[in-house]
Amino acid sequence: MKLLRNRWFGPAVLTVLLLLAPLLISTYSTMILSEILIMGLMAISFNLLLGYTGLLSFGQGAFFGLGGYCAALMLQAGYQNLFLLLLVGMLISLLAALVVGFFSVRLDEIFFAMITLGFGMLFFSVAHNWLDVTGGSDGLPVFVLPSLNLFGTELTFYDPLNMYYLVFSIVLVGVVLLWLIVHSPFGLILKAMRENKQRVSFVGGNVQLLRIVAFAISGAFTGLAGVLFCLFNSMATPEFMHWSFSAKPVIMSIIGGTGVFLGPLFGAGIFFLLEQVIILFTENWMLFLGIVLVPIVIFFPQGVFGTLRNKIFREGAK
Amino acid sequence: MSDVLRIENLGHSYGKFKVIEDISLSIGKGEMSALIGPNGAGKTTFYNAISGHFPPTKGKVFLNGEEITGLTSHKVVDKGMCRSFQITNIFSELTVLENVIAPLIIQRGKHFKIYGNIFKDKQIVDSAMQTLEQVGLSDRADQVVANLAYGDKRLVEMAIVLARKPSVVLLDEPTAGMNPEETENMIALIKKLATGSGTTFFITEHDMKVVFSLAEKIYVLHQGHLLAQGSPEQIRSNEQVQEAYLGRKVHA
Amino acid sequence: MEIFLLNTLNGLSWGMLLFLIAVGLTTVFGVLGVLNFAHGSLFMLGAYLCMQTMQFFDSFWLGLLIGPLCAVVVGLLIEKYLLKKVYDRDVSYQLLLTFAVLLILDDAVRMIWGSGYHVVEPPEILSGIVAIAGQDYPVYRLFLILIGPVIGGLLWAFFHYTKWGKIIRAASFDNIMAEGVGINVPLIYTSVFALGTWLAAVGGALAAPQQSLIPSMGEKIIIESFIVVVVGGMGSFPGAFVGALLLGLLESFGTVFAGRMQMAIPYILLAVILLVKPNGLFRKGV
Repeated sequence: MKLLRNRWFGPAVLTVLLLLAPLLISTYSTMILSEILIMGLMAISFNLLLGYTGLLSFGQGAFFGLGGYCAALMLQAGYQNLFLLLLVGMLISLLAALVVGFFSVRLDEIFFAMITLGFGMLFFSVAHNWLDVTGGSDGLPVFVLPSLNLFGTELTFYDPLNMYYLVFSIVLVGVVLLWLIVHSPFGLILKAMRENKQRVSFVGGNVQLLRIVAFAISGAFTGLAGVLFCLFNSMATPEFMHWSFSAKPVIMSIIGGTGVFLGPLFGAGIFFLLEQVIILFTENWMLFLGIVLVPIVIFFPQGVFGTLRNKIFREGAK
Repeated sequence: MSDVLRIENLGHSYGKFKVIEDISLSIGKGEMSALIGPNGAGKTTFYNAISGHFPPTKGKVFLNGEEITGLTSHKVVDKGMCRSFQITNIFSELTVLENVIAPLIIQRGKHFKIYGNIFKDKQIVDSAMQTLEQVGLSDRADQVVANLAYGDKRLVEMAIVLARKPSVVLLDEPTAGMNPEETENMIALIKKLATGSGTTFFITEHDMKVVFSLAEKIYVLHQGHLLAQGSPEQIRSNEQVQEAYLGRKVHA
Repeated sequence: MEIFLLNTLNGLSWGMLLFLIAVGLTTVFGVLGVLNFAHGSLFMLGAYLCMQTMQFFDSFWLGLLIGPLCAVVVGLLIEKYLLKKVYDRDVSYQLLLTFAVLLILDDAVRMIWGSGYHVVEPPEILSGIVAIAGQDYPVYRLFLILIGPVIGGLLWAFFHYTKWGKIIRAASFDNIMAEGVGINVPLIYTSVFALGTWLAAVGGALAAPQQSLIPSMGEKIIIESFIVVVVGGMGSFPGAFVGALLLGLLESFGTVFAGRMQMAIPYILLAVILLVKPNGLFRKGV
């Protein structure tokens, strides 16, 4: 129990488990695990807004999709450098999030959710209809994946195992960076804004600007997840930008718990596990997702992971 | 130019309805003054108009000789004036220490620093602990504010306001909702903070006992106008003021 | 000129349907404070239940009458067993709970009636076409243009001239005040949700002869209804009317001037309105 309460114990075990997992599970499960990690990164980036800043964004799909399209377009144009893909994807998403954030952050609560949903669907409309660039509703396929020269060995990512370790490494870096941000002075001010934005303003903080920066950071890491998903999926499609896709990080964060840093990742895991279990015996997975969501929303106000964690730590340390 | 806070012909109206009109006053460094008036006299509107909640529709505000009329709230704070609110305005789910550190992070321009552990910044933590010491909360620094008693929450707000060591502190009904004992303590605290610190305090209160035991100078607001100003003795014996207050009592 | 007239008529008939759905959504939000993601699914459910009752009785009118009432029963269950538990919770939980209801309703309908298209014939008296501006125009659309203001007017009269309507309006301004003067607030919440459900379902039943029925028809309309409600001002009755007609007409004319990008019009409208008037067209700032 004492070990359990050490704040580094959980994350350390999780990292080791994720490193070893592919050796113990099937290729199919490894691919599911890759997807969980990518969506987990998206959900944690999203939760920087919901859980830490108090902003419910319903348009995160736009930045995920931008990252994806960026990667697909660059690969089609022959740019093969992996790090360039990741960097440009992040940068474009960051810029787009700056613009969307600039217009959206003056609104609150449901109005913020609606305007971000609107902007997200605006991106979706463009992706869906700009046939020459985005391939319309068919999306953009990726035929050649980048490779990585690691200590003289040329690594390709057609093998699901290599893809998994690529995803794992990038997500790990992303999550660590987000952890640092959440625990930085900026992170403390974000939490203060979640609690009381008027107070922040009346101790000298420029709430609009702080929110724009938070939105842009969240967008950048969401874009990073989008690049990874495009590589993993060998495809970028407009569906990434649709509001129903933007709903996924919302669901994952709330299942996992918005008050805990790793909660959304945990939520992503539960989400995919549920999906895998449910589709074993029925086609109507949405119905059962709904049926599972209802009690989670009603009875787990801090999410499944959050509630469990608070049981272990007793006082709900943030 | 020894005035810390100077207000010239301040007015605010919603459409045709003038909430406050033609208020001029000036407060010297280190003074402890109070703004009183019956409910609806426009005290909160006056506060909001000078602290950047919204720009006043008329008049000018100077802080340390510099015009701050119409600046947004965070800029007013940067210029050195910080305020409390009638309804406790704090960061509930953060710890007491974090509540005081947040303003300091902003003051030192570290609010956009996205790495590093602020609790390892000795200067900031010391400064925050010093403020907590002043208000008597240093033994509860690690508690989550939501779990504190009401009186202590008011103290947290006081600490937030004082954290940046502003030159002018506006307190909007600092004893609102407190029991007699908590009120006593708050009066003693404000007196202690004011003596010799050079900080200028400007408070609004409806509790006359608090006002007369604290203020060196009192301004009376009535129906949006400045009705009288002077020492507590002068105000006590002012017939117009008595009428305004008595008149209200009769109607109520 | 002909094109202008036809587009106006198309825009109005679509706008009237949007109005019926949005006015329920906005009233529920005004009183309960919950933006109901499942509102579009109740619209869809209304259409399917209308179709089902039509098959029993072989009458569109009975379908229009009974179908939405069956949907109201579903709405009552949703309010009593689910929504009640999250009234005092954060917006994100309310949105997610109603989103879960959306998932359940959509898939349940898919299980019962299948995922394929269904067609509902308009009643004989409205099934014809008339010549307008030298073109054949379906009578049923003209009927929609008329029925919208009729239901809207009745609703307006209900809100302004009946005791219950006045109570609901009072509750939407200030719940605590309503409780203070001895109004049974939980009962109001339940009735308002029932009213909202009925409006959505009637919208669905009326839409049935005009579009094919598929389980996802609710998902399409919910986003547009959100836009109408936000553009008009959340909780505003006249806002829902103006917003719905505005969006209906813009979309109709959008096919002419925006081509493929017509799809983006609702979102551009939303963004522009929220930036110029953050509280919507008909809602005063707090």
